[in-house]
Amino acid sequence: MNKDYSLMKGNEAIAEGALRAGCRFYAGYPITPQSEILEYMSTHMEERGGVFIQGESEIASMSMIWGAAACGERVMSSSSGPGYDLKQEGISYLASYNLPAVLADVMRYGLGDGEITEGQDSYWEATKGGGHGDSRQIVLTPSSVQECADLTYLAFELADKYNTVAIILSDGAISQMIEKCYLPDALEHDKDKYDWAITGYKEKNATKVKVTNMDRTIGHEAWNELMRNKFKTIYDNEQRWEDFMVEDAELILVAYGISARVCKSAVRSARAQGVKLGLIRPITVWPYPDQAFQNIPESVKALVTVEMSISSQMAPDIQMASKFSKPLYGYLSTLYVPKTEELVAYCKSVLAGNENALEVY
Amino acid sequence: MAIRKKPEMINQQVGWCGGCGHGIVQRLIAECCEELGLVEKTVQVVDIACAYWSIDTLNCDGIAGPHGRCAAVATGIKKVRPEANVYVHAGDGCSYVIGLAETCYTAMRDIPITMIVVNNGIFGMTGGQMNPATTLLGDKTVSSVKGRDEKTAGKPFDMLKIIETFDIEYAARGALYDTKHINQTKKMLKKGFENQRDGKGFSIIEILSPCPTNWKMSPVDSMIKLEKENELIFPVRVYKDRGGEK
Repeated sequence: MNKDYSLMKGNEAIAEGALRAGCRFYAGYPITPQSEILEYMSTHMEERGGVFIQGESEIASMSMIWGAAACGERVMSSSSGPGYDLKQEGISYLASYNLPAVLADVMRYGLGDGEITEGQDSYWEATKGGGHGDSRQIVLTPSSVQECADLTYLAFELADKYNTVAIILSDGAISQMIEKCYLPDALEHDKDKYDWAITGYKEKNATKVKVTNMDRTIGHEAWNELMRNKFKTIYDNEQRWEDFMVEDAELILVAYGISARVCKSAVRSARAQGVKLGLIRPITVWPYPDQAFQNIPESVKALVTVEMSISSQMAPDIQMASKFSKPLYGYLSTLYVPKTEELVAYCKSVLAGNENALEVY
Repeated sequence: MAIRKKPEMINQQVGWCGGCGHGIVQRLIAECCEELGLVEKTVQVVDIACAYWSIDTLNCDGIAGPHGRCAAVATGIKKVRPEANVYVHAGDGCSYVIGLAETCYTAMRDIPITMIVVNNGIFGMTGGQMNPATTLLGDKTVSSVKGRDEKTAGKPFDMLKIIETFDIEYAARGALYDTKHINQTKKMLKKGFENQRDGKGFSIIEILSPCPTNWKMSPVDSMIKLEKENELIFPVRVYKDRGGEK
């Protein structure tokens, strides 16, 4: 690990993390609040020997990274809100071709055009979406600039390991803040190491690579089994989360991204006031860290999900992970970053029996 | 009459409709790649429509791209594998309608690929709907049953007139309605592949082609319509030849 740190924006850390992971092809379309990823790539990709293209649309950019991924290159695109919607076509095609790729989705608030401010509104789309058909994508949620770099780096490894799309699900707050960041060691990726990659340089009469729908290539039964096994293996092996003071907690907050940072300070503040809060911070939201909820202490009276959305998008995942063993409450701050003391006050109110449990519908 | 030897690149029969032009186009592509010694470095990107059938028929690397995005997929391939002979074989729906932006921007970036657009004036694979770019005024389709009406559907437009204004290497339109034009089309295709081989820029070859099934005409009558009607709106000629100078 390089001991020198840099002061970086979250978005810049995502881009630099990708370059250090060996990403050598980026195509994307500007949209706030993720444009610095594209800008950083435009400035630094060429000096690393890679290709940067500002695409004519999010859709075209996805098809470009698909073509590049099929050639064995490490590829990335990024977007936000209404731009991320348009990425869905490409995610589905990449999944159908079993190709690795990394996408950054820096969430913003709202439906339609929404706002360009921070939000956590694309959880459903990132964790349950991915275009038509049924496939799953690994979804990683940074909660600091350091994690923007580290999780992007990791995303390339996981995408490669499982031949899948891996998504960095960040938010406007995390991606716009500036913090110190230790950057991972740079590595070079060998695009010629795969037997499936398009090269255009086959020996005469050798089997030719046909990167087309895998179900047609290997048959539907084999395809179904391959995909199911892949998803199950990822689910069993790649759940990631952080526990924070849960051992003796009365109330466990559940949050990721910017909300999790506020929750951490709320836990500290509450404990200074004698209220035992804890935090489970999912780092992967697919696979959801069900294991984190397997041994919730008996002292816990309830769970509280803290999210920046209108409905709790994460609640069904929490209920399934905790097997409905504890009442679930929700602190849903929509387009506002939760405030520490208001959150502590809400938790005190829950413990006093003054709040209604979250309606999950 | 001399019979051309079937290219080895074609490794199985393909299931296009009787009288369809796609099979001729595929054959010409294979002949060009073999005659230029490019087969071993060829990567095809075919449209998820009628052109799709080439993915299993031609013995080369390939991707079946999403409808409309073939030029963008080919861009990604060519950028990562610049030495490969990358071509797109797509229809006019893919290239000029849903993928208009992808086609234009690939041309505007002067990406050195060979783009082959089959203009049959209709959406073939989906069952014969009107093509907003190429269906002639008055032509009846399943989505313009009284004939294409300018008031509701606008006029067909000549994309090569637009693309020739970009700083690209080569733009030409051929046709398949007789031997003379098939041979002329082959020369255009060869030029497109030679340009790529020689490190020149973006080449596009549009090919007027019949669709007897969806035109609901015999193959012979389809060829006559191509010559007498479609070619009037879409002239067969070289629109642009930069000559390698830039």
